[in-house]
Amino acid sequence: MSTTSEPARQQAAEVDILEELKAELAHDLEEERPPHAGPLAQVAAGLVTLALGVAGMVLALGYGLGSLTEPGPGLWPFAVAVAVTALSIAQIVFGREAQDTEQFTRSSALTGLGVLSLIGLAALLPVIGFEVPSLVLMVIWLRFLGGESWRLTAVISVVTVAAFYALFVLALSIPLPRLI
Amino acid sequence: MDFTPIIDGFGIVLQPTNLLYCLVGVLIGMLIGVLPGLGPAATIAILLPITYGIEPVSAIIMLAGIFYGAQYGGTITSVLLRLPGEASSVVTVFDGFAMAKQGRAGAALGIAAIGSFIGGTVSIIGLSVLAPVVAGYALDFGPPEYAALGLLGVLLVSTVGNGGKLKAIIAASIGLLIATVGRDTFTGAERFTFANLNLADGIDFVPIAMGLFGLGEILYNLEENHKKVHAPAKVTKVWPSRKDLSDSKGAIARGSGIGFGLGVLPGGGAVLSSLVAYAVEKRRAKQPERFGRGAIEGVAAPETANNAAATSSFIPLLTLGIPANATMALMFGALLIQGVQPGPQLVDSHPDIFWGVINSMYIGNILLLIMSIPMVGIFVRILRVRPAILAPITALITMLGVYTVNNSVFDIYLVIVFGVVGYLMKKFGFDPGPMVLAFVLGTLIESSARQSLLIFGGDPTGFVSRPISGTILAAILAVVLFPLVRKVIRARRGEPADVRTPEEAAVSQAPAETPDRETTDAK
Amino acid sequence: MTIIVGYLDTPEGRAALETGIAEAALRDLPLVVVNSPRRGAPVDDDMLAPEQVSAIVDRATDHGVRVEVRQPLHGDSLAETLESVAREVDASLVVIGLRHRSPVGKLILGSTAQRILLDASVPVLAVKADR
Repeated sequence: MSTTSEPARQQAAEVDILEELKAELAHDLEEERPPHAGPLAQVAAGLVTLALGVAGMVLALGYGLGSLTEPGPGLWPFAVAVAVTALSIAQIVFGREAQDTEQFTRSSALTGLGVLSLIGLAALLPVIGFEVPSLVLMVIWLRFLGGESWRLTAVISVVTVAAFYALFVLALSIPLPRLI
Repeated sequence: MDFTPIIDGFGIVLQPTNLLYCLVGVLIGMLIGVLPGLGPAATIAILLPITYGIEPVSAIIMLAGIFYGAQYGGTITSVLLRLPGEASSVVTVFDGFAMAKQGRAGAALGIAAIGSFIGGTVSIIGLSVLAPVVAGYALDFGPPEYAALGLLGVLLVSTVGNGGKLKAIIAASIGLLIATVGRDTFTGAERFTFANLNLADGIDFVPIAMGLFGLGEILYNLEENHKKVHAPAKVTKVWPSRKDLSDSKGAIARGSGIGFGLGVLPGGGAVLSSLVAYAVEKRRAKQPERFGRGAIEGVAAPETANNAAATSSFIPLLTLGIPANATMALMFGALLIQGVQPGPQLVDSHPDIFWGVINSMYIGNILLLIMSIPMVGIFVRILRVRPAILAPITALITMLGVYTVNNSVFDIYLVIVFGVVGYLMKKFGFDPGPMVLAFVLGTLIESSARQSLLIFGGDPTGFVSRPISGTILAAILAVVLFPLVRKVIRARRGEPADVRTPEEAAVSQAPAETPDRETTDAK
Repeated sequence: MTIIVGYLDTPEGRAALETGIAEAALRDLPLVVVNSPRRGAPVDDDMLAPEQVSAIVDRATDHGVRVEVRQPLHGDSLAETLESVAREVDASLVVIGLRHRSPVGKLILGSTAQRILLDASVPVLAVKADR
């Protein structure tokens, strides 16, 4: 052990317990998630934010920076966009080793399907009311995303939509586009 | 000290409707605390549309109940199943589950409930005393102070949160950028609206919050993960023995203090408090080897601390109008929706909200203590429900809920967009919390900064020359430089942390090899 | 060659275990006890606790039978999981417990036992609980 003084050693050991706890917790929680994506993901993340930052800078310049005595509408967004750009560059250059990303797995397609079903709901809601799209959404999520049996899917879908109907329409009289 | 507003606050809380909202809040909080998957932030975000229809006081009472209620619920699964329901209950797993294996699950749960109650109550008392003082002091704050404080808050939340610090600050900066979308209040110019009428007034807080936290979390949980299935746990008598109680006295006392102190710091909060409280107890113990093997202090300390912290994290919001963490940012937004501007003037302009919310926490903590002891078995039943069944129901609540706010389908699309953004952020290691916090504070920071420039006549050194804002800016500098300095010092010392004392070796029950410190530091 | 028992902590399951142990002793084959809860929820009533698993192991070894307890998770179909384990351990017999279901019960809740009986590639021994 190093020959540092007692209080410093105590503090160092205390901090170490903390770090060790954090690391152990992180490990335990990690076991259940997909593995880390590689450095490519880190760089990609940095590139996306870099693009946002640069776009922000360009657009903000267009709105006029004004001066410090008379700030224009673009001054603050420009300053922030500069920060985003600079930090993104730092991320691309220095951030490759971090382990905090996740790979996309086959089941990420499930998430994609979920998003599509939500878009479908939003698109159909004003057209045919909420009942049918909600029912379809429930079926998709229960049966296709959740792997539940048809029996259970049917029961839960109908009960849920009925409950929503009872709650929103009957009990609370909230205006929702609807068929019935 | 004038006690009338405090007493009036109790009067408000004891109204039947508010008692009901308090009960509903802590009940929902406890339930989602038990369930892994949705956290209090996500739930509060999803329930924001409800707050439109009810009184501001009632709304915040309910949302607050969800927040500190979740700290109770998370303990249950930590102890019984070695499965933390909430991030702040992860440390409880070490000794809590060990106690359960020794047949002392009831004692662990009991001491956790008692410690949580005491920690929460101590924190509320501290809150009642400290808050008006801070608010009074903050009335001297001007635009420069707010700009600096807002910035400090955003930075602290980014650096202490999960995920990489660099990414968190990037997320926060992007949040600040998103806040600028819409019409500029100073000049009337339209920014980043791309000729879309819906964006002309800026992006509403509610769809962003619901999307990033609510839908983002739901989408993230959709992905298959190989969760272990646990056998049902038997819970016997939920009450600690006399000896357990007396052994935990010190831990509870220290945990309350640590939780209260760390909860006030932006970015600190419940998770950090539970970790620090545990570490402190272990350090102080005469026989540290007991920790990780069923030491009752190992349960009492973190559970007390996390409840104390959850309560004290309200202080910056209620007194300065600065949210200390992502959940407080949601409360901030919820207040804004109701037309209430959080800030130091809140205690005077809306004493009903100020004291109503604070006093509701007393009631809420009592309710939680009453419910958590006999009703543990009932709460654990909910764990048998497959998440695949809850997912579409929560998704529907989110989608239909956001529609009811403005009768706008555009809002639904916004939620979907931000839901995807939130999902991608989590996949790529960005924490959505700092982004929402920065978004919520963005308008405040910008207008304060611009007002300050006007006051200073365009001279930015004015920030530094004013004493308060100067101090805050110095703190900002410290926060930014501290991790870098620490890395340099550690590198110079040559990794002293790899040497493990016998006690540290005993703690490692999990099949984890020596923690990779470089990775931890890089975060 | 092994004998598989599909096990739940119910009278039917315990009956199946007893029969499985007896068969394994008779044929001098190892026993594989499959306890398969449904994937998804954090807690499942079907999941055996470690003490229950050791009790099973003790029971089998008391009768001089070599035993292995597996706890694979099943998704849509328990029958499928059981079938794949059967293939993996080269089972020559599957023992399951049978519970009397009313026709309405079968209609609403379905019959896993029926699926197993129909889909299995090896002989299936269906046992009722002791009265």
